[in-house]
Amino acid sequence: MIEALGERIRATQTPLVIRAGGSKDFYGQQIEGDILDVSGHRGIVSYEPGELVLTAKCGTPLAEIEALLDRHGQMLGFEPPHFGTASTLGGTLACGLSGPRRPHAGSARDFVLGMEILDGTGQHLKFGGQVIKNVAGYDASRLMVGSLGTLGVLVQASLKVLPKPQSELTLQFELDETTALKRMNEWSGQPLPVSASLWQSGILSLRLSGASSAIMRAQAKLGGDHHLNGPDFWRQHRDHETAFFSGDLPLWRLSLPPSAPPSSLAGKQIITWGGAERWLKTDADAAEIRAWAAAHGGHATLFMGGHKAAGAFHPLPRALMKYHLRLKGQFDPRGMLNRGRMYPDF
Amino acid sequence: MQTQLADSLKDTPEGREADRILRTCVHCGFCLATCPTYQILGDELDSPRGRIYLMKQMLEGAAVTNRTLTHLDRCLTCRNCETTCPSGVEYGKLLDIGRKLAESKVARPLSQQLQRKALATMLPQKKLFGGLLKLGRMAKPFLPATLSLKIPPSPLSRQGREAITPHARKMLVLAGCVQPALAPQINEAATRVLDGIGISLIEAENAGCCGALSFHLNFQEQGLEAMRRNIDAWWPHVQAGAEAIMMTASGCGVTVKEYGHHLRHDSRYAEKAARISALTRDVSEVLLSEEAALRGWLARRGPRESSRVSFHAPCTLQHGQKITGVVEALLTVAGHTIMPVSESNLCCGSAGTYSLLEPDISSKLRDRKLGHLSAPQPDVIATANIGCLTHLQSGTPIPVRHWVELL
Amino acid sequence: MIAPKIIRRLQSVLPPDCLLLATEDLKPFETDGLTAFRNIPDVVALPETENQVKSILRICHESGTPIVFRGAGTGVSGGALPVDGAVLLAMTRFNRILSIDPLARLARVQPGVRNLAISEAAAPFNLYYAPDPSSQIACTIGGNVAENSGGVHCLKYGLTVHNVLSIRVLTIEGDELVIGSEALDSPGYDLLALLTGSEGMLAVTLEVTVKLLPKPERTQVVLAAFDDIGKGGAAVGAVIAGGVLPAGLEMMDRLAVEAAEAYAHAGYPLNAKAILLVEVDGTQEEVSEDVMRVREILLAAGATEVRTARDEAEQKKFWAGRKAAFPAVGRLAPDYYCMDGTIPRKSLPDVLKRMAALSEQHALPVANVFHAGDGNLHPLILYDANRPGEWEKAERFGADILELCVAHGGSITGEHGVGIEKINQMCVQFGSAELGAFHGIKACFDPDGLLNPGKAVPTLHRCAEYGAMHVRGGKLPFAELPRF
Repeated sequence: MIEALGERIRATQTPLVIRAGGSKDFYGQQIEGDILDVSGHRGIVSYEPGELVLTAKCGTPLAEIEALLDRHGQMLGFEPPHFGTASTLGGTLACGLSGPRRPHAGSARDFVLGMEILDGTGQHLKFGGQVIKNVAGYDASRLMVGSLGTLGVLVQASLKVLPKPQSELTLQFELDETTALKRMNEWSGQPLPVSASLWQSGILSLRLSGASSAIMRAQAKLGGDHHLNGPDFWRQHRDHETAFFSGDLPLWRLSLPPSAPPSSLAGKQIITWGGAERWLKTDADAAEIRAWAAAHGGHATLFMGGHKAAGAFHPLPRALMKYHLRLKGQFDPRGMLNRGRMYPDF
Repeated sequence: MQTQLADSLKDTPEGREADRILRTCVHCGFCLATCPTYQILGDELDSPRGRIYLMKQMLEGAAVTNRTLTHLDRCLTCRNCETTCPSGVEYGKLLDIGRKLAESKVARPLSQQLQRKALATMLPQKKLFGGLLKLGRMAKPFLPATLSLKIPPSPLSRQGREAITPHARKMLVLAGCVQPALAPQINEAATRVLDGIGISLIEAENAGCCGALSFHLNFQEQGLEAMRRNIDAWWPHVQAGAEAIMMTASGCGVTVKEYGHHLRHDSRYAEKAARISALTRDVSEVLLSEEAALRGWLARRGPRESSRVSFHAPCTLQHGQKITGVVEALLTVAGHTIMPVSESNLCCGSAGTYSLLEPDISSKLRDRKLGHLSAPQPDVIATANIGCLTHLQSGTPIPVRHWVELL
Repeated sequence: MIAPKIIRRLQSVLPPDCLLLATEDLKPFETDGLTAFRNIPDVVALPETENQVKSILRICHESGTPIVFRGAGTGVSGGALPVDGAVLLAMTRFNRILSIDPLARLARVQPGVRNLAISEAAAPFNLYYAPDPSSQIACTIGGNVAENSGGVHCLKYGLTVHNVLSIRVLTIEGDELVIGSEALDSPGYDLLALLTGSEGMLAVTLEVTVKLLPKPERTQVVLAAFDDIGKGGAAVGAVIAGGVLPAGLEMMDRLAVEAAEAYAHAGYPLNAKAILLVEVDGTQEEVSEDVMRVREILLAAGATEVRTARDEAEQKKFWAGRKAAFPAVGRLAPDYYCMDGTIPRKSLPDVLKRMAALSEQHALPVANVFHAGDGNLHPLILYDANRPGEWEKAERFGADILELCVAHGGSITGEHGVGIEKINQMCVQFGSAELGAFHGIKACFDPDGLLNPGKAVPTLHRCAEYGAMHVRGGKLPFAELPRF
């Protein structure tokens, strides 16, 4: 399969659009080209619970991986969004998306130990490995995470996995935006077993994970109301299945320092990641949104809908763009892989 | 570390000692972190590891200039690095050898020679120093600020001498060279406390400077002479049953504890010196071992005013003698509150004559230290060495006292 | 040698005490924490301002002069080894903590700030910086970023790359880049991951923003003794498989214990063949539960003694011994050579057995210190550099150990970096395609190859040469390359 994919890349004269489950077709710039279907390259290569390491081909459905881990009391620490049943490991890593647990456990790239790719010349490259610590050579594995397939086709990845917490509990508090932001930051600075947070319409939801006794004591300390269906609550939010995400208004994702102030932008809002991620449903001007995010030390992504002509991703400073172009030129000199998916320039 | 000592040195006692010490260093660099001069200057050559390397190349026969000498001069000899060193490198001993060798290879400028000679000659003589200090105090209003700050004011009015009853238990106490003139109240306080717990302190007639001042200014022979003189002065008392030689200045204490090492090649004195070193104890060690008696005395005497105390542990106490936490515990027993002080391992910049020879680095370290000591807003700063005491006092209105005065 | 013309240019931008030129002053910079490799630098620059750094880079770029960066010089892979004709640029004077934001839990520091100094400065807010390499008392954060340093708490808290939010760097072409941000992600490629661990090959770090974590409510250290090192190795896997994610899981063998005990007086059992230190942290309840579970697992795995630290002071002593274990080994032999391979945990007993055999074969003792939870081995090969031929023997022994790690699916370096030391073993771990990609990455940032030349990534010719000496199983590595 890898040889065939490599041959296809070497031979192509038209740019390729890499695709597996297609669950994140909406993400990034919309591009045209021949589809390079990698969904057939699937299967878990190795998994040893005692090593906390799993290796799988990138076309493997995320659901299959999570089901296997679940049977052994383990999980993907970055709690990746699925956006449907078709999502695969490769697409998840290429987009570099992480879910509610991210600020507490780490991001998708934090859990990547090794990556095999096919670069733009069809060459099969193996970076990193299957061990927790490895600093031999440049960290090209993690460079691939979030690169949207513009540097190479991800074909296989090794991930560090985590034991599942013994139990989880979701608490809810009635708080205004300013107070909620303050609380999220304060609680994150204390040794509390917080594993997710979300503020929407005057309600702050907080997930606690860990030993039952620890959760009970944290609950006693924090108060709040017990949410009876915590797991569904967090899953629905993670996969954008709640009412907030429906409707035609553009969906923006603002990534900010967690202590950034409440936004002055128009539109509906959800605050997650302890204040570091803010979802915005708005038809406010792209330039205005980006200016506000940048002024507060962050950036804004036009996540879904709207006019991608304004750029799906926050523009890069000129000096940084120079090094992006050079890296793209190294890995994909002919510009065949997902050209323009991240920025129109490459 | 690999070594290749110069032929002229490798079979001498000092060469062998230096080689042994050098070989224990694995060049890990941990010592950089706790070296005061490296903190200030940020140049490896002003760190223990850098100096070890400078000494190594000198011992291996490379040509040296006053660059090496300058970096060795800048060392405070605080020996913080020895506390930090996991490999057990005896840096202080190596430095003694290195400084002597460097001095023999590099000619100092005349002005430096005169300054160091003057310090080595005058300070150790208590009468001469006392007289000069009196003159200095009289002239203080007329001196430039940089100089006048270095002259400490007269000691506070003394507490009335209580009648001291002679006890069967006796210990020698060293008056030292500069302490009697600068702060006679320290030994008076020590005498009072020891009297309270049933021990008489005696000062031997001919004892004087411990030898550290001249030795560390690289007038090593003059320093050794002072050591021999003290041993001669103490020996009859030791034979008459003095239990210990008690030190109220940790700077002297660390030196007297090393008499055995310094005089190990002196056939006439080696044995006596070792015995003297073995008998030497800091006043904190003495009081710790007499804690029950101390508590009894404190109870009989009744409570005194309790103070918030920032304690500065002199390097010669915590690194040189490896005495940590004892003074703090004793002051707590006496009802004082010990304030938390950050960077408590770092030198205050006094370091014997260092404050006079390297005034820039010294005052930077003093101000840094005083910042940490005064941060918790103490009533008083306590320390355990006369050098640190006067040096710190020159930069702060907060009273700086020897801790034994607070008992 | 650097041309006098270039020296004069450097002198024009640096005050005299920021530029060392005399041999006497240069020799102490000939090596870092790995003294087996030494090379006297041509010139050492100790700049005090960022403008001075910029000027040095500009002069070097224009004149084609290479630069080697240096922090505290505690690295143990020879990453800061001077290169002929290069400027050795020490960043130690950039040692200020610029700001600490307790609410957002981050610290902005200059690259010369010591790792431990960050945690000390954050302590009043009950926060700390998690990665704690054993040299944390002295090593600088700039060096940590360059090496992607780990420590004893990596298993739970990650390496440097997981704990740095942002860096400001300067490239040889003079571009000042802010990479990452105070937010949790940034647009574009993850250059933060790429530059972390790039061993001074891509850019020089001017500023680092790190993440601070709340100090755990409680930590507890369990010490277990084993009468067989293999049993100790197996116990490591058992703890992880038991569902506990310890904050630290360390192992030392008898020789390492002996040396560490002599320094730290931690009360380690000196008769044990191996000891494990297991640190668990979290809330009161979590720690109590985990300690119980860990004790049971260790006893079931055949521990002859399981001890829980009585108080914080004893915990500190347990760790002090471990953290000083490398240099403390200096008490056992005049020199040691520290390796840094990683392996899957399950291979630990096998690798240990094989290493004992190698020790006999090379007739050199080896003291073992491991970040066992991460499968990160630190065998310390004891030798005497003053004895002719002994270093070469130690080096061969070390190479065998690293290749053993690769054969078990591991890596030649877990946290110390490749530097100059493991440059040949890179050829064992990677094929020519990957090495080519690494050279490509290097060329993106440093097209003229001026930064730390000759380190971290071997040239393909070097691999061909090394491969020629190492014909394994009848297969010639890099057969496609021309040999000379």
